[in-house]
Amino acid sequence: MAETDIVQDYSPNFEQWIRDFSEWQTRIGFDPSWLGDYRFDIKFDWDTAGSTIEFGDFEGMPKWQRRMQIPQQNIRDAIISMVSVQGDTEFASVEQQNHLLETAPTEYDKKSALRIMCEEQRHGWQMAYLLCTYFGEHGVREAAKLLERNAQEGTRILGSFNEPIDHWLDFFCFTHFIDRDGKFQLKMLSTSSFKPLAASMGPMLKEESFHLGTGANGLRRIVKQGVIPCAFLQKYVNKWVSTGLDLFGTDDSTSAQWAYVFGVKGRYDERESSEEADRLHLNEASREFYFQELRDEMRRISTARMEGEPELFIPSDRFNRGIGKFAGKRYTLDGEMFEGNDSDWQAYLDEVLPSDEDEDRLMNDYMQQEWIQYRDWKGD
Amino acid sequence: MQHVALLAFDKEKCKPFFDGLTDFFYEHHHSEAQNATRYEALLYKVHRPYDDAMLDMIDEWMGLPKRDWRDETTREVKLAMYAIRYPDTLLLDSFTENARSDIRRLSAYLHFTQHTYAIWDEDSRKGLSKLGIEIPATEVADPFVYGAYVSAIELLKDVAPFTCFLEHDVPRQRLFQAALAAYGRS
Repeated sequence: MAETDIVQDYSPNFEQWIRDFSEWQTRIGFDPSWLGDYRFDIKFDWDTAGSTIEFGDFEGMPKWQRRMQIPQQNIRDAIISMVSVQGDTEFASVEQQNHLLETAPTEYDKKSALRIMCEEQRHGWQMAYLLCTYFGEHGVREAAKLLERNAQEGTRILGSFNEPIDHWLDFFCFTHFIDRDGKFQLKMLSTSSFKPLAASMGPMLKEESFHLGTGANGLRRIVKQGVIPCAFLQKYVNKWVSTGLDLFGTDDSTSAQWAYVFGVKGRYDERESSEEADRLHLNEASREFYFQELRDEMRRISTARMEGEPELFIPSDRFNRGIGKFAGKRYTLDGEMFEGNDSDWQAYLDEVLPSDEDEDRLMNDYMQQEWIQYRDWKGD
Repeated sequence: MQHVALLAFDKEKCKPFFDGLTDFFYEHHHSEAQNATRYEALLYKVHRPYDDAMLDMIDEWMGLPKRDWRDETTREVKLAMYAIRYPDTLLLDSFTENARSDIRRLSAYLHFTQHTYAIWDEDSRKGLSKLGIEIPATEVADPFVYGAYVSAIELLKDVAPFTCFLEHDVPRQRLFQAALAAYGRS
């Protein structure tokens, strides 16, 4: 049973961080009046978090509820690092997206995007709260950095969160592909040995499902409207899939292995799986779940296409990778080794990924028409 | 108004429902009788400004006979669709007897114009009863009974674990109401 506990009293460290947060909102041009009556509550679902460490070398012991219960400094550091990375992505996405509100195709999309940005900020608050409340001076310093790094300046921790989101097609791709990675990360942390982190995940995951739905439905509405041809949309799918796959980190990752040994971060299906974890290939296993989910979702999105339009597909996980064993190698969308010289490869990329010319056509031709199926905002 | 007191709510009783919610939802929403494709099309086809044809489409999907309302009654109901805000249901009391006579019809109009309002379904009411939330049976749109029904579903949304929340093109109120209907029949 998921009973959400909302924190009423904050520590002075976190109160100070909230003042810095207000300055951050001003700095990035997010008008607090857009929030309406939305509140950045700190929410915990303690019941679903569980009381006993579920995997790793500390399995069976009580979950840690305070910093001093964590037995080793390197485990504390690993937790701080994970909370910081998670928090960093939350604020980064708002920096990437808030300019889009002015050009929303419908009121529904504007309100959906605004809700997503509010909830991403709340998730950032949640992570900052953990850092400020449980990890002393070190945590306070890391919480401050969440507001100092900036996506527009390219200083966010993960590459995808420094990429510009120039238009609404990228927004829907981002919420579909990149927020989906976020869902995986949150679920993997939902079984964490550090109980406040695990208990943070339930409320965040509930909110994240709306973000993913916005992305998937947005893409489906575009396909259904039929103004932007599927072959053109495919280029954007090709662009975002490799980015999403890279977010799962390196193959044979030792940091993922240590996080598992510490019980800090589990597998995507940690509670459902009856098999022993392959500790040497944890990132690969999570990435495979994600990749399969992408293929299933794309089949569903593609069913909305008009007659005569080609089916949208998810390219091979070898294509255009920046991280892992396929990084920097030349593979086609089908996963075949590319045959040709440098200029052939560049020509191929120009053909299958969005070019400047495509961007221009998207913004100045397609998006000047009724390019996405209309929908009213009616709450949820 | 929150009609269901949190203190009177037995959370343990909900566990089997939450555990099977996804399956319950599919069983009901994707059944032939429910015509999920048509439901999902209505999410788009019903929009402001509301007209009679939109209400007709909702009636058709619900399997209801054609409205036998005077023009003023239809106008009054359409105006209410603009004015009403969750959790208000007292506005229903201002309708003519004819409009209030069918809670299924009115709740469907409310649902397709403001998703927070759930479609009234006798099986969903029984599903709530199995969870220990007793809502009286009714055919007329009683604002207090309907208010209790809607806020009970809202309460379930609040306490449900994240595993219940599908990334689906269906409002959450429908997700829970449809799952409750299958659970009520099980």
